[in-house]
Amino acid sequence: MSRRRFMVLVTNLSGAGITLLIAAPIVGSVLSPIFQRRTHPWIRLGDIADVPLAQPTAYVVHFPVTQAWKVPAVPRIVYVVKLNVSGQTQLLSFSNVCTHMECDVHWDTNLNEFLCPCHGGLYSIEGINIGGPPPKPLYRYEHRLDGTILYVRDVLTEA
Amino acid sequence: MADESTRSPLAQRLTRPVRGPMAALYRWMDSRLGLADLINKGLYEATPRRGAWAYTLGSATLVIIALQIVTGMFLLWTYVPSVTEAWDSLNFIARHDEFAAIVRGMHLWGAYILFVVVGLHMVRTFVSGSYKRPRELNWITGVILFLLVLGLGITGAMLPWDQAAYWTTVVVTNILHYIPVIGHWAREVWRGGNQVGPVTLTRSFAIHIWLLPALLIPMIVAHLYLLRRHGEFGSWVNYDPDATEEELAERMRHAEPPYPAKPTEPAYAVPADLDEFFPSQTAKDGVVSFILVLIIFIMAIAVGSPLEAPANPAILNYVPAPEWFFLPLDQLLVQFPQSWMIPVGVFIIPGLASMILMAVPFLDRSPERRPWKRPELMVPAGFAVFFLLFETMLAVNRLFNL
Amino acid sequence: MSLLAAAGPQLSPVGISTGAATLLVGVVMLLHVQFAAFQQGGAILVPLTDFLGMVRKDERQSRFAHGLLKTMAVVFAFGTALAVFAVMVLFTGLWGHFWVKLLRVMFWPLVIEAGAFVTEVAAIYTLYALWDRLAAVRPLRIGLGIVLAIDEFVQMLMINVVASYMLTPRPAFNVPLILFNPTLVPLEIHRLVGNLAFTGALIALVAGVRFLRARTPEERSHADWMGHFGLVIAIALTALQPLIGWEYLKELQLHAYASWYDMMMGGLSVAFLFQIFLLGLIFTAGIFFMWRRVHAAGIRSPILGICALLSLAAWILAAIPYTVGFTYESAVAASANAPIWQGGTIIPFGAMIPWKITALVAMTFVSITAVTVYLKQNSLGHLRWGEARRGQAMLLVTVGVSVSLIMALMGYIRENGRGPFLITGHMLINQQQNFQAPTAPGPALNGAPPSSVGTGPGPQG
Repeated sequence: MSRRRFMVLVTNLSGAGITLLIAAPIVGSVLSPIFQRRTHPWIRLGDIADVPLAQPTAYVVHFPVTQAWKVPAVPRIVYVVKLNVSGQTQLLSFSNVCTHMECDVHWDTNLNEFLCPCHGGLYSIEGINIGGPPPKPLYRYEHRLDGTILYVRDVLTEA
Repeated sequence: MADESTRSPLAQRLTRPVRGPMAALYRWMDSRLGLADLINKGLYEATPRRGAWAYTLGSATLVIIALQIVTGMFLLWTYVPSVTEAWDSLNFIARHDEFAAIVRGMHLWGAYILFVVVGLHMVRTFVSGSYKRPRELNWITGVILFLLVLGLGITGAMLPWDQAAYWTTVVVTNILHYIPVIGHWAREVWRGGNQVGPVTLTRSFAIHIWLLPALLIPMIVAHLYLLRRHGEFGSWVNYDPDATEEELAERMRHAEPPYPAKPTEPAYAVPADLDEFFPSQTAKDGVVSFILVLIIFIMAIAVGSPLEAPANPAILNYVPAPEWFFLPLDQLLVQFPQSWMIPVGVFIIPGLASMILMAVPFLDRSPERRPWKRPELMVPAGFAVFFLLFETMLAVNRLFNL
Repeated sequence: MSLLAAAGPQLSPVGISTGAATLLVGVVMLLHVQFAAFQQGGAILVPLTDFLGMVRKDERQSRFAHGLLKTMAVVFAFGTALAVFAVMVLFTGLWGHFWVKLLRVMFWPLVIEAGAFVTEVAAIYTLYALWDRLAAVRPLRIGLGIVLAIDEFVQMLMINVVASYMLTPRPAFNVPLILFNPTLVPLEIHRLVGNLAFTGALIALVAGVRFLRARTPEERSHADWMGHFGLVIAIALTALQPLIGWEYLKELQLHAYASWYDMMMGGLSVAFLFQIFLLGLIFTAGIFFMWRRVHAAGIRSPILGICALLSLAAWILAAIPYTVGFTYESAVAASANAPIWQGGTIIPFGAMIPWKITALVAMTFVSITAVTVYLKQNSLGHLRWGEARRGQAMLLVTVGVSVSLIMALMGYIRENGRGPFLITGHMLINQQQNFQAPTAPGPALNGAPPSSVGTGPGPQG
């Protein structure tokens, strides 16, 4: 190896080293959210005894933000639906987040469907995507019933 | 230095020495900085004379970008990039700080006018065929600048943390999760978690004020450097493609720097009629830019910058709508429904469109510049422009009639 | 909606039966639309060609602009007479209840609509009378043309407000929502583009006839150029229509489902099938014209040939009916909605998704490609005006006639799509005519047939 080739190599290697040393922690910090551990505590939604049959009822639930530093809990809407399935009452708790672009869907009493205002997604009362762009049914919250008191936690399942 | 007697009258006028009380200071600076070279290159270059008003759009873009940088800088004197305080800080501006409200209004209206001017600048360059040899890289850096400006527009819309900003953030970050394979991680990286939250705002903020401007400014420098290197093309009115070889040779002999442009066809190497960039072109540039800044100023005072209710994810009667310059893309989200078609509408169509836009100089390599002789470009481009306008109108119609 | 809720009295209509009154309005309005569409497209083309003639010093364009304006001035009177007849006699005389109620909702749009006639008359006749004198101040003449174009645009916008409102009124009585109802934007764009294409096609039609009857090379040359110019406008703009029409129907599906169902599955689907047949014919004839016209100039263009064949294939695919029965609705009613080889009446290749869509997308892209290639051949200076053959002139006539037919058919579909309603969901077509009390028939006034006089109690007093 000539002196010149060696000097070129040293220049390139130090450049690469500097880049690596700076980039590694930056990439790590940017990607850190992927590796974060999250907790999903049960949260009291409320008494659902008065929820009428086949009439989606919106509850506001404050979920704690586990993303980073402490900020006020974020209100989210949980739709509680009671359905009569072959004589038995079935209880569903939907997230009102559209599966297309995550806008807030609402129960439209004219259509008798869940409507997403962003791009016109439609869901049936069972949360099944029946029109517009949504690719999946509405997500459901994991829930637990204690008498008539419903508890939910921020774990979403696909129908 | 070339012999004075061989230089054209224009070139002699372009390099006159400085006189008066500042001459000594100028000489001192010049000997250290090479100011004369810089000024000659920057100001005293020849430009095409005919159709000069049409060539003011580029400098208008530059002026408005400068306005955006300056107003943005001073918005940071009050704005706090935090989910708990961003809205309050802007609400304070709106209620108690009249001048800052004008600054914020100018930042918003500057962005709006910028999109219009950038679009017109692009259309002008396209129609006049200015992107052709040797100016392919001028066009490509221009397209990159356009995409960066779009990115700045959308990240800027996320910062006020009112309802509009919140839902823009939700939808834009959510689009990322339709990337095949790594989509979910990409969304979590921008959001700083699986939901939009405090980290999302700081990340959007960092992208808006540092990452994108840090890419934008070198691109602007490259764009301007290339403009100076090849000279301004102008348009077909500056050239005579049917000129004889003798006429072209004569014109070549009288070429002022930076002409003749190389490598290009002789007929398009030197504009027929030259003018000084300073002050002839800068005067026209100045008038157009002044009018645009005046419009921005008036709109900032008369209309200002809206601030909706604070972000609230638990609301059932709010209709999220993107900023108007994103309406065509928003309409694509409606038109490409269900699982596999969503990535087509979100990535493939806009991606292909950007790539085709960037590849324009390589798709159209004929020397012809007159638009009516280039229907293979003008006809598809006409349909594309119609499509954009149509999508925008459909989106307005949809949001209005929801 | 209280303005519309009141039903008319349960009495017999004045003059003629509901069917005849509907037919009269239909015939007069469809005829009026043909004139109005030509005016609107022409008002854009006059300043455009005048401008092109000025900047490119093209005598042909200037001559064309003048000829088009003269035609417009002549046709304007007749088209307007039809509109006035419709308003004064048909709407007021036969459909008084409907007309008065509509005027109460649509007062300002109709006032602006009527007011725009004043500007239109002024602009059109000033241009007509002073055309040659204004040649000295060409920009002024072009400016006046632009004023005319804007005026015609406003006029059409106002009538589109009324027409789209009748098809998709909003539930709430809210002025902005009534004006910017869901189908206003698609209808406006569909008609703006359509009127220009229609005008282009009419120009091509006239040029085709003139070419066939031309006696001198000069006449033949101008007719050839005019046909080329009109056809390019017609095909280039019709190429946009499948997309715009698709979006228009999407809005109908969302906001007036019954009308949409009638158009796609019900009785009007037959008319729609004929419409897509005509659309395929327009594209195919237009692209065949381009191919053969370039061929007549001695140039072999395989791309145009392929475009012509693809367009033909798309036409055939688009024209396949979905059912051998009358409509899908009737097939369902007869429990015959199974493929034809399983004993039903359905032809799966006639389905909208994916086959008709494929055909429409193909037509759009093929015609954009064909227009591009054809214009490229022209820009290279290969076409010499006057060298076209008679076959190409006949293709021009075909395009012109088909576009005229498709315009009439489209109007028929839109106006009948409202089904039993005059204003969807708010006003039935019944009981909206002018009525008379049976106790005071006044047969001498409204010309009741003699038989009713014979059988009835007879005129009193």
